[in-house]
Amino acid sequence: MSVLEVNGVSIHFGGVKALQNITLTAGEWEIVGIIGPNGAGKTTLFNCITGFYQPTHGTVRYRGRNITRREVHERAALGIGRTFQNVGLVKEATVLENLRTAQHLETEYNPWIGIAGGASSFFEEGRITRRGRQLLSLLGLSEIAAEPVADLPYGMQKRVEIAAVLATDPDLVLLDEPGSGMGPEEAHELGEMLLALRKQFGLSIVMIDHHVPLVTRVSDYMYCFNFGEVLAEGRPAYVRNHPEVARAYLGEEPDEEQHARENGQVDEVREGEHVS
Amino acid sequence: MLDEIGAALVVGVLTGSVYSMVALAIVLIYRASRVFNFAQTEFGTTGLFAAFVAVELWGWNYGLGILFGLAVGICMALATERLIIHPLRDSSRVTLLVGTAGVALAAIGIQFWLNNEQPIRQMPRLVEGTAAAPFGTPVTYQQVITFLVLIAVAVGLVFFFRSPTGLAVQAAQQESTASELVGISVRRVSMLTWGIAGLLGGLAGVLAGPNLTFSAGFLTFGAGAALLPGFMAAVLAGMRSMPGAVAGGLLVGFVEQLGALSIFDEVQGSRALLLFLFLLGVLLLRPQGVFVREKAAV
Amino acid sequence: MTILQRKSRKRARHAKADEPVTETSVLSTEDTESRESGTAPDATKELPRVTESNGEFRPSAGGWIARLLTWAVLLWLLLAVPGNVLSPFDFGVSDINLAIAATIFAIIGLSLNVLIGYTGQLSLGHQAFVGIGAFASAYVVTDLGLSFWIAVPVAAGIGALQAALLGAVSLRVTGLYFALVTLAYGLFAEQSLFSFAEITGGDGGKPAERPAGFADDHLFYYLCFGFLVLVLWLDWRLTRSKAGRALQALRENPKVAASYGVDVKRYTLLAFVVSGTFAGIAGSLMAHHQQIIVPGIFSFQLALVFVVMTVVGGLRNRIGVVIGSAFFASLGEGGGAGDGGGFLERTIGLPAEFTGIVIGPILLLVVITLLPGGIGQLIAPVKNWMLGKRFDRHAGKLKEVEVSDVRA
Repeated sequence: MSVLEVNGVSIHFGGVKALQNITLTAGEWEIVGIIGPNGAGKTTLFNCITGFYQPTHGTVRYRGRNITRREVHERAALGIGRTFQNVGLVKEATVLENLRTAQHLETEYNPWIGIAGGASSFFEEGRITRRGRQLLSLLGLSEIAAEPVADLPYGMQKRVEIAAVLATDPDLVLLDEPGSGMGPEEAHELGEMLLALRKQFGLSIVMIDHHVPLVTRVSDYMYCFNFGEVLAEGRPAYVRNHPEVARAYLGEEPDEEQHARENGQVDEVREGEHVS
Repeated sequence: MLDEIGAALVVGVLTGSVYSMVALAIVLIYRASRVFNFAQTEFGTTGLFAAFVAVELWGWNYGLGILFGLAVGICMALATERLIIHPLRDSSRVTLLVGTAGVALAAIGIQFWLNNEQPIRQMPRLVEGTAAAPFGTPVTYQQVITFLVLIAVAVGLVFFFRSPTGLAVQAAQQESTASELVGISVRRVSMLTWGIAGLLGGLAGVLAGPNLTFSAGFLTFGAGAALLPGFMAAVLAGMRSMPGAVAGGLLVGFVEQLGALSIFDEVQGSRALLLFLFLLGVLLLRPQGVFVREKAAV
Repeated sequence: MTILQRKSRKRARHAKADEPVTETSVLSTEDTESRESGTAPDATKELPRVTESNGEFRPSAGGWIARLLTWAVLLWLLLAVPGNVLSPFDFGVSDINLAIAATIFAIIGLSLNVLIGYTGQLSLGHQAFVGIGAFASAYVVTDLGLSFWIAVPVAAGIGALQAALLGAVSLRVTGLYFALVTLAYGLFAEQSLFSFAEITGGDGGKPAERPAGFADDHLFYYLCFGFLVLVLWLDWRLTRSKAGRALQALRENPKVAASYGVDVKRYTLLAFVVSGTFAGIAGSLMAHHQQIIVPGIFSFQLALVFVVMTVVGGLRNRIGVVIGSAFFASLGEGGGAGDGGGFLERTIGLPAEFTGIVIGPILLLVVITLLPGGIGQLIAPVKNWMLGKRFDRHAGKLKEVEVSDVRA
């Protein structure tokens, strides 16, 4: 049984068909990569999976359960974690505070007891603080535990966000452009980290990114989206060499120089050719 | 009973004229600055006080006094735009609301302060006397004039927004960046819009004031309280439609007057109760507004 | 772990100039370098250390003494002076009434701070929250003949209940529109709800006598002060616990909060209930302070004063809110002053009714344009110092009075 099963999901906003009949699965401990030009519907799909949008057709299943109508926080409780394109953290709070907030579901005391100052709440607070510090240490972020997130550079914020999503103790993690703003070296290291985290935490990962080489190296299975539809899917090597995929990113045959330059995706794709 | 409802209708429409003026300004400002202007009715009270001072204390000609009052209202609106709205334009909208509430409070405070010896004032009407008495309720000329002014203002605004300036204003409201690129100064548009709001506020004040005695905060929470009804009318208009604001104001006036029906004699403060329930009802059932046209036109 | 360690060392080698490097990776670089070349690490290859005085700051002995003395003076001012204990001042009737009003307003400020500061909801009808508590308490004592000590929890409960109802509305009606609803609600309460003569005693008001043993104003002050301390403690626990963090998340970024598993609806209601509870307590104290509670004081102006004092005090800043509220109470607002008039009246000659309403908005406008953190921001350095930290002039700076970023 797959961890995630998206079946025939469609959604439109007014006249715009953001997603059309998307079917996608992620298996246990699989890393699924999603690539595609901007506006292809990738984040929209994440929003449907996590519950921010309600699809007009289709279902979303998590470990066999139909979660299409469930609330966002309910899906989080089931074990779905997610990062956001523009860093989803409580920016005015400190890094450690964010880690505590992320453990909201793990914090086992009634909120009213917390307000009244019951003994159990003190103990739990200590426990989740320790756990938060452990996660920060794992990702090399211990130094900045007391820093407000807003003061951190972008790249570091993204790492904090990963620590936070791990703090929610997820089984399935949806990463929305974790490599954005990174150069090829950093993206490579990110890939290493994701593989290590998968092993350590037993995660299933679905990730959207524009660093095609990163996605190709790390994924077990890939999808390429365009205009709200699945353009191609399969093993990374297959998808990467698929002519439609190149056309979607570049607009024309890959060796048309002027078209390649017009499209901002070129650098990453080209660099990928060198590295691998 | 029918007489009562008829009376409620007549009085409602007349008091509603003031609400419509307030609502028009609120909608205008919301479209321009995305702000709920809590100082709108204070533009009116301040203008009223200014007119009062001019006419009663300085002995000016009534017409000049009115113009003076309107001018003061406009100045107050422009000052608000300059000192509060513009510096805070990147803040959250609730912060801006708090800012306009602060302006309202400051105006009320100053009115209280300066008006201390004789809190209750009276302003003579433009034209004295009763015009008619439909359904047994007296209707003064002042009230009829107020209603006619509303119609004139509404028509004027329609023509204004069809004019080149008006179109520029609409463009700036809908798409400020593109408008700047086409040479429309968003800054000037903002000030123009607030100036119009100040004018509308001043009109509401100088026209409504003479109907009753007035004191500090008259148009906001006093005898002529028009802030909440004005906002309700704006909500009915979906915060967007100007004809909707006019219709909304008249409707709110009517609903409020229903509270004066004899069946509600037992219920204290039935007007406030009705307004509250009406607002809740509209916001819960039709938050996008009732008097809204499909297109975001005038 | 190995993979991550290796990553951080590689990171240090290839770190870009503007990226601060964590201390661990700097150390790792040194290790690798010396192991590889067999020589001492080359100073030029070392990456700049971002030193942070993260370490514990301990005040000197003199520093401790200074802090203790300040605490002592503060406690003396708050506890001894109003009771005319160990005090060269004579706290007369009007003074003590102002002090009582100050504590009650402080509780109201904290209540409103939960809504505006923690949850990002603007309440323009908060006088209704307080009024309901006041009349409930008066009713319990006068009509039901029960003890004050039962009346307070009842008032708190009823305050919480009506707040919860309003909270339920806030779930469907967002931000600015919700502010309108609270405005209408406040007016409705003032003109309609509080006019039910059977419960509220009509225009003449409802009597609410002091609890046994607290007829003396000075003793009643201590009672109110005790409740203030209780409310402060509850508020402190709120912010330090999971509910407070959930509120902060849902105020700043509701999507992120939801993805952390925060039930936005549930915690919004929780915030309203807490706010209503505090307001109910304040209402009860207000009723029994004045010993007769009149509907007329719960006016729209009072609602605005409440908002102003909370924002001027500084949102999300407990001490700031307390000071701001106390300040406005001392100006003689809300009928708290009795016949003595506010202190400004007696010093400058500005009549009591006007001071709050003239000074207040001016302060408000100054705060939101120039000093977003309000009084709280001003005293933040002092507060931190008194808590044993270093005196930092720039503590507590806020960029903007962030109430909430709402799409209306």
